[in-house]
Amino acid sequence: MTPTATTPVFDENQALWTENHQAAGCLQCGRVYLVQSDQIGQICPLCRKARLEPQPVRMRAAEPERILPFRIDKNELTTIYSNAVSRIWIKPVDFTPESLLRNTIPLFWPLWLVDSDIEGHWQMEAGFDYQVESSQEFYNGGQWRSRKQVEGRVHWEPRLGKIQTHVDNVSAQALEEYQNRVQMTGLYPLQQSRPYSPGLENQALLEVPDFPPEDAWPLAQPAVDQAVGEICVEAARAQHSRNFSIKADYSNLNWTQFLLPLYATHYTDDEGQPQILIINGVTGALKGPLLASSKRGSRIAGIVGGVAGGLLALALIGLLLTMVFPPASIIAGILGVLGLLTGIGALFPLVQPGQWNRNQTGPRIAKGPRF
Amino acid sequence: MSEENKKSVWTPPEQYQQVESTIPGVDVFAPIPKTAVPDSPKKYACPNCGATTAYDVAAGGVACEYCGYIAPVHTVHVGRTAEEFEFTLDTISQSERGWGDKRQVLHCESCGAELSIPFGALTSTCPYCASNHVNVTISLNEELRPRFLIPFKIDAAQSKQLVINWLGKGWYHPDDLAANTVVGRLTGIYLPFWTFDTEVDALWRAEVGYEHTVRHYNPSQKRWETRTKIVWRWQNGDIQLSIDDFLVTGSSPRRISLRILKEISNFVMNGLVAYEPDYLAGWQAQVYETTLTEAWEVGKSAIREQAKKACYQDIPTNHIRNFSMSADFRDESWRYVLLPVYMAAYRSGDEAYQVMVNGQTGAVAGQKPVAWWKIWLAIGAMLAPGVLLGLIGLPLLLLGGSGVILLAMGFILFVLGGIFSFLLYRKAEQSEAK
Repeated sequence: MTPTATTPVFDENQALWTENHQAAGCLQCGRVYLVQSDQIGQICPLCRKARLEPQPVRMRAAEPERILPFRIDKNELTTIYSNAVSRIWIKPVDFTPESLLRNTIPLFWPLWLVDSDIEGHWQMEAGFDYQVESSQEFYNGGQWRSRKQVEGRVHWEPRLGKIQTHVDNVSAQALEEYQNRVQMTGLYPLQQSRPYSPGLENQALLEVPDFPPEDAWPLAQPAVDQAVGEICVEAARAQHSRNFSIKADYSNLNWTQFLLPLYATHYTDDEGQPQILIINGVTGALKGPLLASSKRGSRIAGIVGGVAGGLLALALIGLLLTMVFPPASIIAGILGVLGLLTGIGALFPLVQPGQWNRNQTGPRIAKGPRF
Repeated sequence: MSEENKKSVWTPPEQYQQVESTIPGVDVFAPIPKTAVPDSPKKYACPNCGATTAYDVAAGGVACEYCGYIAPVHTVHVGRTAEEFEFTLDTISQSERGWGDKRQVLHCESCGAELSIPFGALTSTCPYCASNHVNVTISLNEELRPRFLIPFKIDAAQSKQLVINWLGKGWYHPDDLAANTVVGRLTGIYLPFWTFDTEVDALWRAEVGYEHTVRHYNPSQKRWETRTKIVWRWQNGDIQLSIDDFLVTGSSPRRISLRILKEISNFVMNGLVAYEPDYLAGWQAQVYETTLTEAWEVGKSAIREQAKKACYQDIPTNHIRNFSMSADFRDESWRYVLLPVYMAAYRSGDEAYQVMVNGQTGAVAGQKPVAWWKIWLAIGAMLAPGVLLGLIGLPLLLLGGSGVILLAMGFILFVLGGIFSFLLYRKAEQSEAK
């Protein structure tokens, strides 16, 4: 069975599980958040191209079931930003720890948690741990010495059976851009989560699911099956399983939300475009394009090139002077070499940003559901 | 549940049984083990005439000697592919418990007698009604019960002839040994053996000496001479050894001569068949007394010596010192098998001697009496030339003749004679040893 109830639509005037929040969306990227009233009009944290405006939203009224609180504080963020900034030699003007910290917006993004009754039959190869003893023999000075070694192995046997059970809180995709989001944030220690209670989100925005349960179920079912598989492994007193398969009916599906923390910040690149950086709110992993500034590189190259030109000009003058004052040739030669070396050095800031930016092939935040 | 599923109720496949589940609502089914219950004692009687039946080597089945009834044995030939078991900690701990040392009591269904089964016996014949019983001692551990055996290929008459032929061989035994010895009843018995397989990866390190010829000037002789000098170098190497079906007896040395048993242990393991009680009907059979771990220690000691020998062979010269090595055993596995042996005692003079015959290959070994006068005569003959030359040479030396040469030759012959005499004496002694 799959969920059939359509997701109700809440407009901006309707109360959600908390009176402090209201729905607001970004008309540029299409993402929708639950924000506090004083956060209306703030810039969209994940596209940085438009401001959040109140709007109707299609979502479930039930409050989130679990939340993973932020573990990274402002001081740690400063360190994370400093480390990121220090990796770039010629950075955009705006790319500083202070600026990144100033632009930081905390938000929670959603996963679905699905509960389900399951009734059916299953089969798998169950793996049972066992230990074998092995020997090592050493011969030295005419004497043998033995050492026993114990090695763990797995014994596989078929198991099958019936199941009538209930699984709780199997996490499933709640955003269209789920894959991209996981790439950006990395993994979360989900076991550190706690039950949600209003207020835990503090000032953070709450991103609203845009992937309804009806669509999420086909993707969630393998995770539910995996949870059932773990139950079956435990029931069979096994420690491992492989080739698990189940034929079952899934009923009484219940969908709630699981909120995961992230920080979003940005800096402005050479073209004046905001470059979004995402920081996992628990592990502190930072992802996003760390771009060098080609414009600043060119400027530096111009200055250094100018100095090189000046040195070469002086060398030329020195060369002319040799006609009347031969020892000037030494100074001219030195100035010429310095000029050449400086000229070659001017190429580095010209080329390096482009090379660096070409290597920035890591994940970038998705453009949003509107795209 | 959907209508379709409700209509067809799921049932587990055949050959599966429900096993314990630790979670309510989850039923778990597992394949039925091949042998879920231990082999139960089995009595052998002829279905035609009710007489006792026994396995007949010539007929290849369980036969009745009264009415001629023969029931073929269900033979599953497994050979060297017979299942092998790993040294799991569970098995090792169970093996170490052994079979216990209690005597069992078996109720004879034929005559109602209560039979006392001696320790370690797998079979029994009722002394009152002569009925044969098999599986009278039962291992509760599936792995540690006999799973494979090599059936007898040689019958009692053939083995007796082999023993008589063997008695007739050798010059230093009594002349009438074969003709006059009364070989007692040959008892066919299945003896327990452990077979071991393993791969051995050995690393060795040693100082290896290489001979170099050096030319040097000898000032006293005023000439150039050559001498051999050994140059020592540290070297290391590795060898791999693959051991297949290394045989170690499971019998206790208190009950059986391991020396004799070793001499007839040229069993061909390709002859292994799956354990079938019918093979044991009317024959004796013993369970192991040397536990798996004890036997493996014996096997391991022998195998590591093989590895050491292989390492020495890997070294290109004979000059070796500070030799050390390590041997890693891996993929160790074992089998518990029953192998056929005839045992008999015979008398020669006042002494009783033991002899064994391999029930598969016919190899014979045992104790053999020695005609010691032949030994002493031979020793005398070997020492005589040396003594004689000495006796001739000594007076000649005293008389100032060329006795020195004869005396030296006599000494050499005496020493050689002494060595050969010692070897002969040892061989004769071993022939009578248990």
